[in-house]
Amino acid sequence: MSVSSSRKITQILGAELDKLVTLPLIWLTLIGTFILNLALSAAFTSVGLQGVAGAQSILNIGLASMGYLQAGFIILGILATCSEYTGGQIQTTLTAIPWRGFQLSTKYLALAIITIPAALIIAASGVLYTFIMMRDTAVVIEIDTMIKTLVGATGYLTLTTLLSAGIGAILRRTTPALIVLLGYYFIVSPLTRVPLSSIKNYFPDTAGYYMYMPSSTNEINVLTPMQGTGILMLWTLIFITVAIVFYRKRDA
Amino acid sequence: MRAFNAELSKLFSLPSIWLAFLIGAFAPVVFATLDIIAQKEEIIAGVSSRLSQVGYTGLAFGVQGVIILGVLAVSSEYLTESSESGGGQQITTSLTIVSSRLHFLLAKVSAVTVISILLCIVAIMTTVSVTHLILGEYAPAFEWSRLIGVVCYWTFTALLALGFTLLTKNGIIPLAVLMINSSVVSFSVLFSRVTKLAFYLPDRAGIDMFMFTSDTFSGSIFDRFHTPFTGGLVMFAWVVVIFIVAAIVFYRRDIAS
Repeated sequence: MSVSSSRKITQILGAELDKLVTLPLIWLTLIGTFILNLALSAAFTSVGLQGVAGAQSILNIGLASMGYLQAGFIILGILATCSEYTGGQIQTTLTAIPWRGFQLSTKYLALAIITIPAALIIAASGVLYTFIMMRDTAVVIEIDTMIKTLVGATGYLTLTTLLSAGIGAILRRTTPALIVLLGYYFIVSPLTRVPLSSIKNYFPDTAGYYMYMPSSTNEINVLTPMQGTGILMLWTLIFITVAIVFYRKRDA
Repeated sequence: MRAFNAELSKLFSLPSIWLAFLIGAFAPVVFATLDIIAQKEEIIAGVSSRLSQVGYTGLAFGVQGVIILGVLAVSSEYLTESSESGGGQQITTSLTIVSSRLHFLLAKVSAVTVISILLCIVAIMTTVSVTHLILGEYAPAFEWSRLIGVVCYWTFTALLALGFTLLTKNGIIPLAVLMINSSVVSFSVLFSRVTKLAFYLPDRAGIDMFMFTSDTFSGSIFDRFHTPFTGGLVMFAWVVVIFIVAAIVFYRRDIAS
């Protein structure tokens, strides 16, 4: 086919974006996450309001729901890759785009394009809600710290989504991928944090935690936001690379 | 009875079910071991305040296995097959064979109940023996009433997962909600700090059947609010309500939709 390579990329990206946008479950997940986040922010804020006034910063409370929020983005990542395998869409995809590595990489790109604004909006809405509710009591924070933290939170959610998409592409089935990821993020990781405290900073979720949490001085061996980003990015790249290698070798 | 056998056979032939069995049987032991090792010194010195919880924490988090079981039992029926094999759903075949929807539901519920009880007994046996192995003479005695509470908690959770999935037809939402809710960062614990009503949520009430340490309120997952019996009753009420709703919806719903 005599299509120039840049044109090809645009077309593939368009197709991938189109596929993602037309998945109803993606929108349901995003809207559900948004509503859930507001409810959780409300809960955390009212807990914060009961506590000592002025002791906690708005950012800490506004981002406290991040731990739950990531579940929505994990589902988003898994849906994006696993939806190809239900009902045999993958055969059509690969007939239309016979360059496998290319196709999967553009899928991640398209996913990132959708995730970044969504993550920013959802994370910001939580902080905004807390800000409105706690204006009078909490410590005032500077706007650039706020922006830095929100960028960190968006980056964390996006990288988590891509990591989940990588695992989804390796496992190819929604339920096992969901069990593995949710089990890791919500059960295994919190419970192993204490016994494995020396190496916990190198796991994707704990490293990513430092991307958005305001640094506190009373904790030993904390990472800077940049180090956290680096480690999480490394994990994501490893999983994406493995997914692409498998995808190229495996029978679809 | 034949419908029940068929449900068992369907469940055992699901590939993902082995993941559920694996998690259900081994996760409690692993968590209990981690927990025991972390506080072994204190227990031997006799100063641990959490001696009565040893082992039960593992059993509380190991409930993941039966959540997966309950969700899979229904979501596998609604999974659309690939277009190459006709794009059908197993539920149409199942309901052709067992044409009474109520019988079908009863068979499914009994199959899930039996499997989760067995799974829980396996988990309890391994957890108790590991506790005795590690702690030796310091191991606390496991009371029967609390162990029965664990079995009830597991079974009710599996049934809640089943009923919930019957309503959504899709495994993703119930799996996500229930798995997060049975973890350390449970929604119920968060909401129970906001309103006392959250103590009547099923998992929060159910955990009172076997986890009790203090009567004081400290905002942790292991606070006691109900007595074991009322806790079980509250959770059972949730199961019954969800099942009535799910049965009505299932009875009236067009299967193709």
